[in-house]
Amino acid sequence: MKMPGGDKILDCIQCGVCAGSCHARFAMDYSPMQILKMVHLGLRREVLSSSTIWICASCYTCASRCPRSLDIPAIMSGLKNVAMRTNVPAPVALKPIFHRQFTEIIGRYGRMHEPELKMRLMKKTNPFEILQNASFGVRMFRKGKVRLRPSRIGSSTHFSEIFRNASNEERRR
Amino acid sequence: MTIPPSIGVYICHCGGNISDTVDVAKVKEAITKSHGVKICETYDYMCSKPGQDMIERDINEHKLNRVVVASCSPRMHLDTFRRAVKRARLNPYLLDMANIREQCSWVHDDKELATTKATAIIRGMVERARHLEPLEAKKIAVNRDVAVVGGGIAGILASIELADKGYKVYLIERSPSIGGRMAQLSKTFPTLDCSACILTPKMVYVSQHPNIEIIDMAEPIAVNGSPGNYSITVTIRPRYVDKERCISCGECARVCPVKKPSEHEEGLTQEKSIFLPFKQAVPNAYVIDRDLCLWFNKGVCRVCERFCKGKAIVFDQKEEIRELKVGAVVVCTGYQQLDPRLSKEIFGGLDLFGQYGFGLHPDVVTNLQFERLMLQGIHRPSSNNPPKKVAFALCVGSRMDQGVQYCCKIGCMNAIKQALLLLKAVPDAEPWIFYTDIRAHGKGYEEFYSNARAHNVKFIRGRVAEVVPNGDSLILRAEDTILSRQVEEEFDLVVLSPALLPNEGSAELSKMLGIDLGLDSFFLEKHHKLRPVDTKREGVYLAGCALGPKDIRETTIETMATASKVTTFLGKGELSVSPEIAHILPERCNACEECVKYCPTKAIESTPSGVVINSISCTGCGICVARCPTEAIDLKHSTDAQLIAQIQGTCTGEGDRPLIIAFLERTTAYGSADLAGQTRVSYAGSVRIIAVPSTGRVSLRHLLHAFASDADGVILIEGDDSPFQEDQVREHVNNMKKELGRFGVESLRVASTTTTLPQYDKVVNLFQTFHERISKMKRIPPEKRQKIAEALAGSGSA
Repeated sequence: MKMPGGDKILDCIQCGVCAGSCHARFAMDYSPMQILKMVHLGLRREVLSSSTIWICASCYTCASRCPRSLDIPAIMSGLKNVAMRTNVPAPVALKPIFHRQFTEIIGRYGRMHEPELKMRLMKKTNPFEILQNASFGVRMFRKGKVRLRPSRIGSSTHFSEIFRNASNEERRR
Repeated sequence: MTIPPSIGVYICHCGGNISDTVDVAKVKEAITKSHGVKICETYDYMCSKPGQDMIERDINEHKLNRVVVASCSPRMHLDTFRRAVKRARLNPYLLDMANIREQCSWVHDDKELATTKATAIIRGMVERARHLEPLEAKKIAVNRDVAVVGGGIAGILASIELADKGYKVYLIERSPSIGGRMAQLSKTFPTLDCSACILTPKMVYVSQHPNIEIIDMAEPIAVNGSPGNYSITVTIRPRYVDKERCISCGECARVCPVKKPSEHEEGLTQEKSIFLPFKQAVPNAYVIDRDLCLWFNKGVCRVCERFCKGKAIVFDQKEEIRELKVGAVVVCTGYQQLDPRLSKEIFGGLDLFGQYGFGLHPDVVTNLQFERLMLQGIHRPSSNNPPKKVAFALCVGSRMDQGVQYCCKIGCMNAIKQALLLLKAVPDAEPWIFYTDIRAHGKGYEEFYSNARAHNVKFIRGRVAEVVPNGDSLILRAEDTILSRQVEEEFDLVVLSPALLPNEGSAELSKMLGIDLGLDSFFLEKHHKLRPVDTKREGVYLAGCALGPKDIRETTIETMATASKVTTFLGKGELSVSPEIAHILPERCNACEECVKYCPTKAIESTPSGVVINSISCTGCGICVARCPTEAIDLKHSTDAQLIAQIQGTCTGEGDRPLIIAFLERTTAYGSADLAGQTRVSYAGSVRIIAVPSTGRVSLRHLLHAFASDADGVILIEGDDSPFQEDQVREHVNNMKKELGRFGVESLRVASTTTTLPQYDKVVNLFQTFHERISKMKRIPPEKRQKIAEALAGSGSA
């Protein structure tokens, strides 16, 4: 309850607007509404091992419609953080890997470099996918949709410093 | 005083409410030693019969001539105990109450602190009691006529009930016809009887009743006078049609060239700019919409006039002002529905427009529009075909965190009713009800709900997420929270149940009448349970949706209660007037007329034989008392001697220091502090509250007395509805701060504010921040206090 938006969980009236509004609902094992109820009931293991918290795309449709003004995406990302720190196994292997690779790339270049992210993900999860997607990647390159070299921001070292400080802060807590 | 005071003090445990936090035995021990206290007892429930009997017995046995009851707020039980002492033939004004529950045991957890504070509060009251004088209430005659504001079902029933009892009623209605919302309904739940069939006979009865005068197209603009003798000024808008001559043949509307959306039909159909609100309208006369009529806007046309058979059209009718003299006012102003299109402006950020598609597609309608569709012969507004698949979206804008927090109370039953009516009209229809919780609380409602299930109405437990226009139809998305599955269905018609809001103009009317609105912006009753139709002002009563959303049956019950309260108030034909009023001490008065200037009720007059105060108009606010340069006015039951004694008593004794005295205006501000107690909010124990008629009663002298007797800070809080208004409070306090400088007291030691009754958090915040401020300052040194005391003694003898 101490995470961002967490103090309002008790305000939830379980109306289901979040679940009904969620575009990624089909892929979740529990609906956002159920996650809120489960947090309220203290079902820690079930919550932290749910796919829902990783699948939430933070599109904020739910939050903009929530009659009780709950910041559901913030609650979801808080739960992601807790899940990363604990040993509760994540059900969708991809998600924690995705988040880790995503932040690593941002930390290095200061910007996202999609081809590298995709390569890294495939390497970590299913290397055969690299072959399957090769021709697709070439087509994207030809049309100028992706670049081979990452674009960087002015001083990417500053960015990695921010990340370092944030993780130090996290550890201290 | 000839007979020395013999005081009885009774400390209530309140079944633990007080005694769990306050060590009553210790308080008793301390108070017993106080000068003049003959007897001090504690008891479980002082307000119970044995408790009251104890007081009565002691008054007779111990020859008590003053009584102090230390228990709950005087707002709760002052009348109870006054009656008790009266039974023992003691003047009721010789009793006073020390509030050690709402303003002590309920706001502090520390037992020691609560005990010393309770002792101080009681000691203050004991000191005050020593100076109490017997007073007698005065009787005045009351006007037995009643004004009912609002001609919906509540106003109609209240008028009939009162008129049948023999009271003359003025029924003031804003629109051209009485009938209100109920006139727009098709059938009513759960009995499914036709709304017009049960309403219109009542409307006709009202119009023919010899004791009722309907004043339509009228609104109150000012209310003056006092309970029992109000004077209401109403403006009557011109109808431009002579009601007596109009035979409502409709010839005028037939020829009128201007069309506008019909208000009665909720904008679903058009009517002319000369129109009859609806067929059964009372008064049954046409009316011209001045904003649209070509004659008023372009100076042409007047065709209606030519065709009118009864020569009833009067283009030069003028606005009329009428003054109504009444004894009581009943507010039945009803509700309005939240327009989902305006939600963003009203509630900032809450976009019900986009979410529900209201206004984007003609087939998204409100439940009130659906009522009209039913009466017109059920069809989709986009075509003339009957709808087959209909979704009912409940809680649109209700039960929100921002915006409307309360439940609309009628949405569930109304949707069930409409689903059943739809099935009757279109047997192969498919009604779906999307709900958050079905609230079937009334008589016969659960059975009604069961009936709907038996008729295969589909209930989906989940609030509607969005409604998206899809060409001819509508796509609705929601979560079925029971199956934990998203629902995406195509519908022909979507019916919204919008939140209910207080009617337009409620805030202005509340100001005119001097009554409160609650945090929900509806009119506030005096007590949630025990005075549910009374307001804080005597002679002003409430009924129906003016108090909050409710259904017709509940409204009917309320109007009966209200009518009964009105007759209780006016029935005796006379009223007792509080003796707690200001009076002039002629030997001191130099007729400077300063008081005449400041009196908020114009009760003070300068006559050749001197300045006089009208005892009926005087509300006993005491503003004149503090303003009088020669101390020639005093206030009964809040005399200078009583107030100073209470200040000194409250400041003495041990307990936490610093010490803060808070003067609270006795109705609203004091009530707000009581509310903090009822909500169990805690605040600094240094704050001790003294009730005053208004903070305008408190003068520099009282502040100096507080500082001389160990106080370190003074707070003044006024009710925002008080005649002593915010800027006057500020000016008064600033003047006193300046004067305090002469005695070396920093102006930071005084704080003031105004509050409404429900804003107890404002009061508590001031207590808390002021306590922190005073704690940071050094205490006033004893020498300085001594000096102030000497100065006070000097001026007193002078």
